[in-house]
Amino acid sequence: MKKIISVVFLLAILLIGTNAARSQTVDDIIQKHLAATGGADNWKKINSIKKSCIRMSRGVEIPLVITIQQGKGYRSESTISGMTSYTVITDKEGWGFNPRNQQKPEALPSETVKLSQDRLDIQGPLIDYKAKGYKIVYLGTDDVEGTECHKLKVTMPSGKEESIFIDASNYYLVRTIEKTKANGKEQSFTTTYGDYQKLPEGIIYPMSFDNGGSSIAIKKLEINKPLAEDTFKPVELKK
Amino acid sequence: MKKNILLFAALLIAGIANAQTKVNSYTFGAMEARWLGPGTMSGRITAIVGVNADSKTLYVGSAGGGVWKSTNAGASFKPIFDKYCMSIGAIAVDQSDPTTVFVGTGESNMRNTVSIGDGLYKSTDAGDNWVKVGLDSTEHIAKIIIDPKNSKNIYVAAPGPLWSDSKHRGLYKSTDGGETWNKVFYINDKTGCADVAVDPNDPNTVYVTMWEFRRFPYAFNSGGMSSGMYKSTDGGKTWKELKNGLPAKPFGRIALTLAPSAPQNMIAIVEAKETGLYISSDGGETWKSQSATMNVVSRPFYFSCLVIDPKDPKRVYRPGFGFSYSDDGGYSFSDASYDGGWVHSDHHALWINPNYTNQMYLGTDGGVYISLDRGATWMFVYNLPVGQFYHVACDNNTPYRMYGGLQDNGSWVAPSAAPGGVNNSNWQDMYGGDGFWVQPDLTDNNIAYAESQGGNMGRIDLTTFKSIDITPQQAKEDEKLRWNWNTPIVTGQANHHNLYTAAQYLYKTTNQGRTWQKISPDLTTNDKKKQQQEESGGLSEDNTSAENHCTIFTIAESPLDENMIWVGTDDGNLQVVTDGGKSWTNLAKNYEAAGIPAQTWVSSIEPSRYDRNTVYATFDHHMYGDMNTYLGKSTDGGKTWKRITSPEFTGFAHKIKEDIINKDLLFLGTERGLFASIDGGETWFRMKNHIPDYCMVRDIQIQPQTNDLVLATHGRGIMVINDISPIRSLTKDVVDKDVVIFPNKPLIITTGKYGGGGSPVSGGWWGGNPDDIQPIEYYLKERATKDVKVEIYDASGKLVQSIPGSKRKGVNKVYWNLRSIPPKTATGGTKADFGGFIAPMVLPGTYTVKLIAGDKEYTSQLQMVHDNNDKLFSEEDAKQQYDAAMQLYHMHEQLYVLVDKINTEQKEIKEYMDVVKKASEKKQLKEHYDKLEELRSTLLATKHKSIFADEKKLRENITEVYGAICGQECKPTNLQLGRITGLNDDLDKGKKTYDRLVADYGTKTTEIINTEKSRPKTNPSNAGN
Repeated sequence: MKKIISVVFLLAILLIGTNAARSQTVDDIIQKHLAATGGADNWKKINSIKKSCIRMSRGVEIPLVITIQQGKGYRSESTISGMTSYTVITDKEGWGFNPRNQQKPEALPSETVKLSQDRLDIQGPLIDYKAKGYKIVYLGTDDVEGTECHKLKVTMPSGKEESIFIDASNYYLVRTIEKTKANGKEQSFTTTYGDYQKLPEGIIYPMSFDNGGSSIAIKKLEINKPLAEDTFKPVELKK
Repeated sequence: MKKNILLFAALLIAGIANAQTKVNSYTFGAMEARWLGPGTMSGRITAIVGVNADSKTLYVGSAGGGVWKSTNAGASFKPIFDKYCMSIGAIAVDQSDPTTVFVGTGESNMRNTVSIGDGLYKSTDAGDNWVKVGLDSTEHIAKIIIDPKNSKNIYVAAPGPLWSDSKHRGLYKSTDGGETWNKVFYINDKTGCADVAVDPNDPNTVYVTMWEFRRFPYAFNSGGMSSGMYKSTDGGKTWKELKNGLPAKPFGRIALTLAPSAPQNMIAIVEAKETGLYISSDGGETWKSQSATMNVVSRPFYFSCLVIDPKDPKRVYRPGFGFSYSDDGGYSFSDASYDGGWVHSDHHALWINPNYTNQMYLGTDGGVYISLDRGATWMFVYNLPVGQFYHVACDNNTPYRMYGGLQDNGSWVAPSAAPGGVNNSNWQDMYGGDGFWVQPDLTDNNIAYAESQGGNMGRIDLTTFKSIDITPQQAKEDEKLRWNWNTPIVTGQANHHNLYTAAQYLYKTTNQGRTWQKISPDLTTNDKKKQQQEESGGLSEDNTSAENHCTIFTIAESPLDENMIWVGTDDGNLQVVTDGGKSWTNLAKNYEAAGIPAQTWVSSIEPSRYDRNTVYATFDHHMYGDMNTYLGKSTDGGKTWKRITSPEFTGFAHKIKEDIINKDLLFLGTERGLFASIDGGETWFRMKNHIPDYCMVRDIQIQPQTNDLVLATHGRGIMVINDISPIRSLTKDVVDKDVVIFPNKPLIITTGKYGGGGSPVSGGWWGGNPDDIQPIEYYLKERATKDVKVEIYDASGKLVQSIPGSKRKGVNKVYWNLRSIPPKTATGGTKADFGGFIAPMVLPGTYTVKLIAGDKEYTSQLQMVHDNNDKLFSEEDAKQQYDAAMQLYHMHEQLYVLVDKINTEQKEIKEYMDVVKKASEKKQLKEHYDKLEELRSTLLATKHKSIFADEKKLRENITEVYGAICGQECKPTNLQLGRITGLNDDLDKGKKTYDRLVADYGTKTTEIINTEKSRPKTNPSNAGN
């Protein structure tokens, strides 16, 4: 009899667990994610970030620097053989320059600039998403390479969509899949995150990410440090 | 009682162990299937729907490969339904909000091999995510119509189950966008809804055709008095039958459509005693007979597609056995030409771009075609890998070849690897008709055996692809031979010289089919009631050998004893002989005792290679309406059986495969998935390793040299999981550990197996290659949240290479290119130079692999060996190559230092050139700068930016030789070695020039700059800002 009660009890717990999983809401998951990664307040204190990274390619370390000022600008630059390519996006314009095949910085199409506005958001779409105009729906759990994740789908004001996968056990960000349209043709871009570290600012930050077949490790993070005046202009920055 | 307690305890322990280990497909992590496709012959397409608003977004449904989406009018596709049922019956896009898409699963072209569905799915984000919204038990869905004026109203035509009576059929309607469903028209449990049309101007007017049909394993019936055509003018509440002008009942299947631009105009192909096309111009109230050409009347159960041009009510399209079009509303038809290439027969879907009606997409048994001239000519789409293989076999070549036959697409062979990766062009058609078994002759590399439906088989010369008919013939004393649609041709596992095939008798040849020996009596039940195929079809006679019954379906020779042969039939007999064919024993009653139904198809038999008396078998009872998974095992030669079950199993079973190394590793292929067990069948899990969750897995092979798991899927072509060795290593003890670094096999030092021009594949399907170089593999029990990297050290402890490690749960693979860290190369200039990305191959020896996962380290040894099979590249050659490459490597690094000094000096001089005041000092700095620039321009390309203008200086010249030497398996040539000497002289010359400049200008320049630095107001860094 005792055994039967135990079995019933176990089943009840399992069922409750299942229902609990089903009853998760967007806000529940975001709240747990933010709690697990340092809290919204700490994230909101970050106004600028400069990530000095190494992209590994065939045993070669390629420097990559990503600089973002919240809502103002985004810059990524990569240096190979002493030649620096960069992409700059502001809230209004964007430029790209590759010294190997361009004489001067070239303006990015306005559609690209529009669809890239989320890159200016250091905090990501989950913080104050309603105020930012993001729409988010919860799509249940999904496996990312064997790790059970909560799947959120974000629709940005630009129309760009992003699926966000949050580890169901620790609520860290595991993967994002951006879906954009170029001339009506859908393209997707997957980034997988790892090496989570607690920063002095109190947030848990993924210090590595893989995308486009490359593995990128952040070697140095500068948060809320003054940025060079030209950071978000189409010029090569002084080293 | 004690026994029960022990059993309970054992179960409890097993449960706890399971809870700890929980082996599943993710345990095998990065061991993901390659999709070989190909797109060459593609496969059966069942639905095509485009988005009217953009005319270039397409959804393509397939018979066994799920849904594929294109957003570029068919230039490329991606699968979007891989977590769900693979058999697609219908697709509908809400054209008023095209992000809403419905997919009805379960194809409704009711052939003998049609699969089943599990309901209706809805996406509200253009196919990214799906939710099942009901109709789970309908099994087949023929059409979905969304009310064009109110997309909350949706109609679904469900023919319903093919193999059984069922109430889950008829016309279903939702009035809340698919949330809930009501059956709004139903006749009886034998009659489903085959078609539905809604008047776009008056969506309350709905037309349906009802179809009485049924398949049995040995017969098909299309037709009955319950079939008919009906009309509702109140959105499906009430119905009246339309008869006026139609032929006399009984009817079979009726295809019905209306003209979108003039919906009162309708056409229908009515299967009746005299099947024909009928037209109505008054909304179906009266009908008039029109064409009854072959393409209109043939196989109405299979060809139910009929379309009217969106703008022109007189332009009628009949995709059927061939493609026909009419300009007079269906009175007369013309046939499409083959000017754009042959168009595969058997058409099931057509989408016409309403914005440009010349453009249309046709779905056939052999893929998708595009027309830009209203269907007169067609171009094939080569990038949909949805072929329906029945079987696959591999030979022992290097690389091994894969052989298989497909539904309506013959038999093909392709290498498992090829320069540039396996693509469409690597596939060779080798035999016609519907293809099934293909067996390579493992004793003769130039011979294979293949067949077409109904037992027609040939011996094929693989050098010319000419074939010789080897079909066994009826002997005078025999009954008429009964060949299964999918007749087995099987090579002996114990003796590869033995080749078997079977009708109701088993035949064996040992001389490639030149002579056959009948080695059994009739092994079937020989039930005459199941042998009336000439009467099969119902209203339309249809006897294509698809219903042949009381036949042998599977043959297996024991790998341990060529005299022990197992045979399974389609009517439930499982027979074994242990004396090569004299005394047969029927084991049907024995497996029935284990709870496996009688008269079921014995779909595969797997005699164990570890124990002569152990045998596994799968049983398929779906043709009696039973979709359960039946798998049995006997350990006493078939006397007693145990049914193996698992809550994971879905779909009727096709194939059981025992691993060739690990007796506890089993694979099971079913109509709805691939499953594996690592404990001899006690527990199972679904394999999702880049395999669609519910993939139809018809056949499974393990290639013995590569240990590749090769799958014949019935809708996604051939899939290969390269080298399953890690699965064998992952015992339950191992998977409990947090991190395991797998022992490395000796690694042959190579640039890879294949060369090639390197041009990217232009269109078509590309299946890639297995790993060129064996990866370093490790296992992580959970996904790593900290950094993971792999470092390689040589015997002296020097770091050779550091590689970021993947962090996924389960088996991870890290690819080391067998090279050291590339040199630092001179920076700057106007050209991208790739010398800094090239390193020589390492030399043979013992290396250490260090896996760093978070704060823990794990090491293993790695033996690097020379490829002694390469007779043109000795170990001494490799040493010479390495030495030469390292000379160039060091030259690059020396040049880097030299150019770095120049760059640094130039930067500093430039900063002060504008700051100094004295003309003499300005002149000194400028001269120094220019001399340095003069030197720099001899060391690296500095002038031409265009990628179309060659400029080669010392850096580029070193890279040219360095790249050539490093990138090949060959000792350096005399001229390469000579050039190294010349380039080294150039480098020395550069160094000397630099030293001379230092001597001539250095002291004075330094003095000027230091003086300038000491001035308080002339800080140039501030001045520059």
